[in-house]
Amino acid sequence: MSRIPLGRWVVAVPMSLLALATIYPLLFTVNVAMKTRREYILDRFSLAGDLRWENITTAWTSVGMGRYFANSVLVVTCSVVLLLLFGSMAGFALSQLRFRGSSALFLGCLAGLFVPFQVIMVPLARIMADGGLIDTYPGLVLVYVAQFLPFTVFLMTSYYKTIPPDIVDAARIDGNSVYGVYRRIMLPLGTPALLSVGILNALFCWNDVLMSLVMMPSADHRTLMVGVTSLRGQYSNDIPTFASGVLIAAIPVLVVYLFLQRQIADGVAAGSTKG
Amino acid sequence: MKQRAMWAAVLVVGLAMAGCGSATGTGSSSSGSADKLVVWDWKSGEPSAAAYIEKAKADFGKKHPDVTVEFVAQPFDQYYTLLGAAIQSGKGPDVILFNGGGQIRDRVDALAPLDEYVAEDEQRLAGWEAFAKDGKIYAAPVTLQGHPIYYNKALYEQAGLDPASPATTWSEFVADCAAITKATGAKCFALGNKEGAGIQFWLSALASGVLTAQEYDDWIAGKRDWNSPNVKRIFQLWQEAGEAGLNNDGANSTAMFNDSFAIFQSAKAAHIIGLMSDVGHWKDFNEFLTADKLGVMDAPVVTAGTTPSLPYDGGIGYGVAKWTKDPKVAADLVRSLTSTDALTAFYAEAGAIAADTTIDVSQAGPAVATLVAEIETGKPAPHVALSSKTLDLMGRLSQQLLSGSVTVDEVVKQLAASDQAG
Repeated sequence: MSRIPLGRWVVAVPMSLLALATIYPLLFTVNVAMKTRREYILDRFSLAGDLRWENITTAWTSVGMGRYFANSVLVVTCSVVLLLLFGSMAGFALSQLRFRGSSALFLGCLAGLFVPFQVIMVPLARIMADGGLIDTYPGLVLVYVAQFLPFTVFLMTSYYKTIPPDIVDAARIDGNSVYGVYRRIMLPLGTPALLSVGILNALFCWNDVLMSLVMMPSADHRTLMVGVTSLRGQYSNDIPTFASGVLIAAIPVLVVYLFLQRQIADGVAAGSTKG
Repeated sequence: MKQRAMWAAVLVVGLAMAGCGSATGTGSSSSGSADKLVVWDWKSGEPSAAAYIEKAKADFGKKHPDVTVEFVAQPFDQYYTLLGAAIQSGKGPDVILFNGGGQIRDRVDALAPLDEYVAEDEQRLAGWEAFAKDGKIYAAPVTLQGHPIYYNKALYEQAGLDPASPATTWSEFVADCAAITKATGAKCFALGNKEGAGIQFWLSALASGVLTAQEYDDWIAGKRDWNSPNVKRIFQLWQEAGEAGLNNDGANSTAMFNDSFAIFQSAKAAHIIGLMSDVGHWKDFNEFLTADKLGVMDAPVVTAGTTPSLPYDGGIGYGVAKWTKDPKVAADLVRSLTSTDALTAFYAEAGAIAADTTIDVSQAGPAVATLVAEIETGKPAPHVALSSKTLDLMGRLSQQLLSGSVTVDEVVKQLAASDQAG
């Protein structure tokens, strides 16, 4: 039997503990979702007696989660596509094109990162109401794009800065317009960053509650996360059903993380290194 | 290939947004629609409220068959934030559910006074004060909310105590608790003070046995003497109970909603200061203890000569937004939501102690009978009279009292300053 070096243990043990600490809440939620309310109240840490799927069914049907799921998919898809389009355009322009005020413009975009939604919530709601955009899908998409565009621009700019300007110059010499360079050169080269930023934005939009809640107050237009929160009344104590709702909402996110974790990590690190 | 994919994506967005646009509506806010009323609350989505909502809708439908009613159940965590945004934008629901007290009083500028519409209901319903400001009524009460002391009769029996005669004085109560803990291992109180709410319940539940009648009435009227020995005594009892091990372990890190209730439901504690409606109430406890084994007791007398009473106020109630097209029609919906039939269903299904004093509760068990019998002599809960700022401070200080990092004198000094600042 080969002996594992001590150094390996020093790394493996803390990492295993960290992984366990990370996955435990998820396992706990799954376990709670399988319990009856009575089982949960009497001993929340015990293992569920049986695999009961009725809580999942109740959570899905009681607040119309199917509709909310579709709403979330629609809004998130529209938002992410627009974010990638505008973010990549702005990122290309701010990183590769030389024009007066580009630095100030970039700083202006960055400033948007430091404005929490809570600060602008009430005036924004008023503006959206006056514009007839409250409780509409385009209204929420607009808010998502506005809220997450600074982050997207920041990452895309950082990424495009790593691309040598000679490539752009060569493309221009070959007769490409600025738009042609963007379309033929920058978009294909930016695919890894676009993928990463797209995933992150999809997660931000999918997990959002407050913006969606304020902009889409009617029951028909709710997104999935708001649907999950509406499973709870003021003091509702049917935790197993609520846990089931949380699981339903988390499944798409978990799938994204499982299959695209490398792109997510790359997105976070985008532009942090040269070359 | 990639270019085509990109253009296809752009086309999809365009088409999708066009589709989005066609799906717009004003679902959440009628704000002026004559044939539709929108109601915001955090209750209508709960299965236990389904029968209540159906009965209210049916009653309203008889009066106004041409008006549709849409209930929008909002998540309570964000309810008042969302409502604030709706009020600021001037577009929102026609009928709004409120908690009694500060939450509605802070927002009366956005509400229509209901006095002329609900005059007929004033005798039948209790709890109006929690929904009134400057002599005007802004919502009709649906439930009553109070803080009775529930106890587990089975644990009393196991300890050789008479469950029909719970202690009437504090010293007897502490002695009974000692006997119960010795015989069963159960703690005296199930307490959750993670949110700092435990002290609010404690203050309201025990005040009538500690404060004199005059002190109590003055407190509610806003003339609060924080230096009174009796006021200090309430906080001393809180501290002493913690030091004597009367509470469950880790009370400061136990959530009241709903972990402390679970402790009582699972017979790990003999008493709990619970609620009358919503949750942590008789119906929840009956489910685990059975109706016959659930008792409600008066506050133990601490100050000789005091007369314990049930601390309660209006719990939740429906108001009408100022911007609604026809306040009379909206008020009719409020009246349907507080009709005897609807409230009877709410009481039966959700376990709410309804504001309607005419509802027959004789089948719900002895605990409910006791509660309803005490409503007539009950008084407003002392903690409800305090500002939210003072309540927040009291919550933090109560945690420090339990951990022994502050003195009672320091606590009342800080609370007095906060209370006077308003």
